[in-house]
Amino acid sequence: MEDVQVVAMLVRRCIAGDAAAWEEIVQTYNRRIYNICYRFAGSADNAQDLTQEVFIKMYRTLSSYDHTKGAFVTWVTTITRNLLVDHFRKTKQDRVTDSMDTAASDHEDAQPLSEQIQDQKAPPDAHVRSREVAEVVHAALGKISPELREALILRDLQDMDYKEIAAVLRVPEGTVKSRINRGRAELARLLQRTYRQVM
Amino acid sequence: MPDNTSNGMQCHEFDLLLTDAMDGVLSGAGLDRFQAHAGSCKACGPLLAEAEAGRNWLKGLTEVEPPASLVNNILASTTGVDTLRLGAVARAPQPRISWLQQAQATVYGYLEPIWNTVRQPRFAMSFGMAFFALSVGLTVAGVKPADLRQISLRPSSIRHTYYNTQARVVRYLDNVRPVLEMQAAFHGLKRSAPAEPGPEKRKINKNDTTQQPEQKPERRYSQTENHLILANAPLDPSLVDPSNSDLPVVPVTTYRRFV
Repeated sequence: MEDVQVVAMLVRRCIAGDAAAWEEIVQTYNRRIYNICYRFAGSADNAQDLTQEVFIKMYRTLSSYDHTKGAFVTWVTTITRNLLVDHFRKTKQDRVTDSMDTAASDHEDAQPLSEQIQDQKAPPDAHVRSREVAEVVHAALGKISPELREALILRDLQDMDYKEIAAVLRVPEGTVKSRINRGRAELARLLQRTYRQVM
Repeated sequence: MPDNTSNGMQCHEFDLLLTDAMDGVLSGAGLDRFQAHAGSCKACGPLLAEAEAGRNWLKGLTEVEPPASLVNNILASTTGVDTLRLGAVARAPQPRISWLQQAQATVYGYLEPIWNTVRQPRFAMSFGMAFFALSVGLTVAGVKPADLRQISLRPSSIRHTYYNTQARVVRYLDNVRPVLEMQAAFHGLKRSAPAEPGPEKRKINKNDTTQQPEQKPERRYSQTENHLILANAPLDPSLVDPSNSDLPVVPVTTYRRFV
């Protein structure tokens, strides 16, 4: 975990106009933010654009960070989550969050996910197989509701604890746990249905 | 979720303990009650299985690698510079350019568009024709390029050439003077002599057999039939000025258009 004093010093240097400090922050957090954006938005192009927007917003509001109120990573993740929610509202993806067999979204080729899996041929080796499984899981993650998805991403992919997730999502810890449970179950049901059809 | 009570635990309590049980932090009597409820409740048992399966699926998702250009793009969009290394390269001292090279670059900068124009075929042909005409003219005038080599450009030589040329012009005019005086006297005699009647020049109309001088027909365009002459228009006696009855008065009406 980050050292609070070190990060606070880094932020102060950034505010003072130290370009090297800002570059250090970008180098440290770009991977994390990009992964959150990629898992939430679903595509690499959107993730890249959103990551840039997150850093632009960070750069403008860096002076508002107060290290006594929380960790810097929580602050960064909160900015990322808020921007992702705004992006989600703009792109209107609510209609594609229920089932894997519903009509496909606009960025896919109008096939249900189960049919896409059926079209795939047998993988030549385990590496390709695992990569394809990861793609299927990533696609299924994009099908569940954004409330459950963000909780799953922060917990199971970013390894944040419940308290930090609650601070980012601004909901009680009990709600966070409930969303995580429902999200995992929903994801399992989607994938179970998919592979049952493939078998 | 139905809120059933089974083995002393309600379903919402099971839901809250589910994450703790999966994280391995639930132990003792709480774990026993949790497992008992999962085994007996028709809703919570499958929920536990599905939650574990979902978590296992998510474990298969590894971190993706961001694009290599992401950091540069972020820095460019925030601070306006690509990287510190690029900034250092920009601040590095540039190789010094001598004043001669700078002057050449400046001259080439001005001359290049002119040279590009001159190199067009039409201009090249014009310059070729001009050079040909100049060379032919010099050849006819007896100027040889070999003579130009012997020309001395020293000030004393130039002054000497100037005085020689001036003396040659003066001698030429002195030699020509008697001829000019004779010409002037001849013209004076010619003017003083009585003029002889010269042959009468007359245009002869080949078609005219009457031998009468040709008369040009006078055309009065104001009296042709196709032209109206306002001065000859019949006058209304009321419009005639009594003080000057010779001049007709033409009434003029001006219509103004009001918009």
